[in-house]
Amino acid sequence: MKISLNWLKDYVQLDASVDELSRAITFLGFEVEQVLRSGAPPLRHVVVGEVLVRDKHPNADKLSLCQVDVGPAGGIKTIVCGAQNYQVGDRVPVALPGAVLPGDFVIKQSKIRGQSSDGMMCSAKELGVAEDASGLLLLAGRPALGTPINEVLPPGDVVFDIEITPNRPDCLSHLGLARELAAWFKRPLVYPQEKFRGELDGTPAPELLRDVTVLSPEDCPLYTAHVLTGVKVGPSPAWLQQRLTAVGLRPINNIVDVGNYVMLETGQPLHAFDAHKLGGNQLVVRRATDGEKLTTLDGKERTLTSRMLVIADAQRPVVIAGIMGGENSGVGPATTDLVLECAIFNRQSIRWTAKRLGLTSDSCYRYERGVDPHTALEAAYRAIDLILETAGGRVVGPAYRIGGDVPWQREVVVTPGYICEKLGFDLPAADMQAALESLELNITREEPTPARGPAWTVTIPSWRDDLDRPIDLVEEVLRLHGTDRIPAAVVSAPGLVGEDDPTVRFNRRVTDYLVGHDFHECVNYTLRPAKELTTWVSQTAAVELALANPLVDDQSHLRPTLIMGLLESLKLNQSRGVTVSRLCETGRIFIERNGQNFECAAAGFILAEPLGERTWRPRDPADFYTAKKHAAALAAAAGIDLARQPLVPIAGPYFGWQEGQSAAAGEMANGWTVRFGLLSLPMVRALGVEGKVYAGIFAVLPDLLGAASPRRRYADFSLQPAVLRDLALVVDVGVPAEEVRQTLVRLAAAAGSDAFTLERVEPFDVYLGQGLPAGKKSLAFSLVFRSAARTLTDEEVNAVCQKIQDEIGRSTAWQIRK
Amino acid sequence: MQATLTALVAKAQTDLAALHSRPEFEAAKARLVGPNGELTALMKQMGAVPKEQRPALGKLINETKTRLQELLDGALRAIEAGELQAQLGPAVDPTLPSPDAGPGTYHPLTLVREEMCRILRKVGFTVADGPEVETEYYCFDALNTPANHPARDAQDTFYFPETARFGNVSKKTPDERYLLRTHTSSVQIRTMLKGEPPIRIVSPGRTYRRDTTDATHSANFHQLECLYVDKNVTVRDLKALLDYIFASLLGPETKTRFRPHYFGYTEPSFEVDLSAQHLPKVKKEWIEIGGCGMVDPVVFSGVGYDPEVWSGYAFGMGLERLAMLLYGIDDIRYFYQNDLRFLRQFA
Repeated sequence: MKISLNWLKDYVQLDASVDELSRAITFLGFEVEQVLRSGAPPLRHVVVGEVLVRDKHPNADKLSLCQVDVGPAGGIKTIVCGAQNYQVGDRVPVALPGAVLPGDFVIKQSKIRGQSSDGMMCSAKELGVAEDASGLLLLAGRPALGTPINEVLPPGDVVFDIEITPNRPDCLSHLGLARELAAWFKRPLVYPQEKFRGELDGTPAPELLRDVTVLSPEDCPLYTAHVLTGVKVGPSPAWLQQRLTAVGLRPINNIVDVGNYVMLETGQPLHAFDAHKLGGNQLVVRRATDGEKLTTLDGKERTLTSRMLVIADAQRPVVIAGIMGGENSGVGPATTDLVLECAIFNRQSIRWTAKRLGLTSDSCYRYERGVDPHTALEAAYRAIDLILETAGGRVVGPAYRIGGDVPWQREVVVTPGYICEKLGFDLPAADMQAALESLELNITREEPTPARGPAWTVTIPSWRDDLDRPIDLVEEVLRLHGTDRIPAAVVSAPGLVGEDDPTVRFNRRVTDYLVGHDFHECVNYTLRPAKELTTWVSQTAAVELALANPLVDDQSHLRPTLIMGLLESLKLNQSRGVTVSRLCETGRIFIERNGQNFECAAAGFILAEPLGERTWRPRDPADFYTAKKHAAALAAAAGIDLARQPLVPIAGPYFGWQEGQSAAAGEMANGWTVRFGLLSLPMVRALGVEGKVYAGIFAVLPDLLGAASPRRRYADFSLQPAVLRDLALVVDVGVPAEEVRQTLVRLAAAAGSDAFTLERVEPFDVYLGQGLPAGKKSLAFSLVFRSAARTLTDEEVNAVCQKIQDEIGRSTAWQIRK
Repeated sequence: MQATLTALVAKAQTDLAALHSRPEFEAAKARLVGPNGELTALMKQMGAVPKEQRPALGKLINETKTRLQELLDGALRAIEAGELQAQLGPAVDPTLPSPDAGPGTYHPLTLVREEMCRILRKVGFTVADGPEVETEYYCFDALNTPANHPARDAQDTFYFPETARFGNVSKKTPDERYLLRTHTSSVQIRTMLKGEPPIRIVSPGRTYRRDTTDATHSANFHQLECLYVDKNVTVRDLKALLDYIFASLLGPETKTRFRPHYFGYTEPSFEVDLSAQHLPKVKKEWIEIGGCGMVDPVVFSGVGYDPEVWSGYAFGMGLERLAMLLYGIDDIRYFYQNDLRFLRQFA
């Protein structure tokens, strides 16, 4: 809201500097967004002068040497000037030696390029009047030479553009802010004195307003109307126009201007009707009917609904209540008799209507935030005073007042001890009392209490609906004491150290792992485009993950994976010519199962071919098994040992992955899932990413991370030497190595003696091709045998190996490869 | 005889110097000093030498033998050195870059978040976490947000359709809607409902507002909030925490100030300004950095804490804003583009 300093001074004496005022407003709790100056500040030794002679400066192309007449007292001055926009005979502001222009610019007699200059001719900007610095300020109307410039220019004002928080609708007015500043600077607040106090002048004129009915009292708790006759509509007086212009309003006519003025003074919106435009000479406050239309003052036709409150005459709506008047009933140049409305409307109703119509106004803004019903009539009286003053006429009545019957009364009991307890530092009770009372929060009773000293009963004024608890008064005391005066202290840290959330620890662990393995951590948006989801999840899931009200099309769904974001980052880097191969991210993803979405903690990574990178010593590129290692590490961070989990190839609906080159484990039914391998080549290509991309992602329900894993127990291990044997098997190409390995483990256990065990079996060679039948592959395993107690002999190990081989021949379709 | 021995040494000297491998060496060694070697053959001739010449000749042979052994040892050393050299290859150029990938980098938002968490852990705060999909109760109602507050508007907050179901995000009432949390304050509510005071948590995380993305706004951003609940917590304690945080983060010359403000969930409420003109690119004296206040009694009552007994404070700030200030970043979108030239600057 724009607040004029000159206007504030009507109610409180303010002699502080603009900086001090800004600071006061700030620390009272209102953010000063901008300080605007208008008109001229006080300028001593700046007078009206006339250019008599303009010669070229002998030593400078762009300067002129002028003779300037500054009136009888000053005579004729020689002034060097750089401006180009003036001619001989123009009258301009002249700053004489001794003048101090805005910015502490002191004018002295000086020499410019060898020519002495007795002052300066000024631009609007140099005087602080306006932003125009393009040339001298040419004064219109030939003001008398030597006249002090402040008598010629409009008076200066300072306008603060202030953000008023929603809890303080009382400060959406000059009077409200003046009250705050009066309290801050400890000055009295002078309220405007209404002359009109409700008395009617002469015979009521019922023919002008026969009836006022409120059909919807829940939407309109108070409605008042006064009738004025014999007014003369015309331009407002200069002082009124200046007030409105200063805060950015356009003067219309004296009636409309008074309405706006009183609203900006008191916060109470008002509306005036031309009494002769009200059909049936009556006003009805009612809900609109569906489809009813009204053309508002902004020239737009509005279609109303039955939830919207209107002020209507006998036939039609004339105002959208509290928001905007209609063209059909407003005050115009020909108006002589008028009805002045001053009312209170329900906040929710106004808010709903304004939002539905996409329409707002200064009046609407105030009603939405709350207008004090208990001072409404004062505002009406104030407006009547000003209309009589600026437009003449008489208040003839009849005067209507419907509603507003509930008197205001609120008291809050608080002890000074409580206030200091909450603040954490002591203040003298007298200071606290003074602070409260400066805001008209008067202590009307004081009673002793056993523990906390006297209990104050504080009477809350009607405009402070935001105060109804002792803690609210703590804030008032602190505001006036000054929040910049809270004493310093050390942080009290009474050893309340718990453990970080399991999800946080998981994220930290996987991020440390991935960054430690040369990945670059990325952060991508959670919201993704719809078309992207179909690559990763079913159509049903895509529907379930959709937002109701996305802002933009490409951010309409929750992400079901981290991979797409990482691919996008990869693409961005590729397109900018930045070589990148390893990217990772941790964060939430959303997985649909049986029509329900689950918010999961997740970690993912991609390994791309470092395209375009030329290296003096090439390294082996990443492959499926690189992805497998990292995916297993991510699962391990959640306590899941991937080696013990059945891995299945990814096929079917997961189009994001390349069939035959990717694998998965886990089920959301068990709370976690992992996928890794090569990303679908067609998908990657369609995204505009070049080359092969391997990836992995692990997702887990946060609740699963909380489970504590049992502490590991040490297992004894043998110090005896190992005996190694190799075994190669020819199997069908489709047989997984792990199946063979586990069979070997099982057969070794069956064949083994009590004396020793098969400690390890690991594949060390996989071969397909020449020398093998089509559709077959050779898998070679290294078997490590060891006894807990002694050195093994070749014979006993050979015997066990033979048994294993015999059993393979008997019970499997595999051949031993010699 | 003497001449023969001298010739033998001279020849050995020449021959051994030309050797390159162990087999050659072994053959040469056998030829010289082996059982059928040349020296052995000469020694066998000792019997034919007159008795009086024998001591001198014996001495001479011994000298020859020693000399040959020296030559053989030298030749072996040379071969070993050659072998080692062959194994090592030429000396490395230590100035060449490693062709391996790396090093990895932490995202600047992670770095700032973790630094803040470390600072807060030192004074007893633990890191809490909660869902990003929230409900109207946890995001608004429990935080004393008025029913008609603009933050609840579909204009400002992302909602899910009424049919949407989230299996692991609990609702307070069956008919409230799911939404994307607009602040991490919902974590405070869930933490208070789950546990008993005293509570001292910091909750960093992703938050969402229905904002058009530009250099200073992002629909997706990160916040970090602190909540402290205990007996006798005061405004002064809150100010002390803020002073401590920013002095730790930005250096002891950093100052903070409170400006009274309004938030539904705290009373009194403040905006926090920071004065840190020693940082690069900081031109203004005071920079707004976050909001804070004393937890409103209504919020305590809502989670079943007696506001007569318990008091507390809450503080929240945007992580992007802090990271921008710390590193001098001037466009919030850089955090979400992941250009490697950006990411590599902060590790």
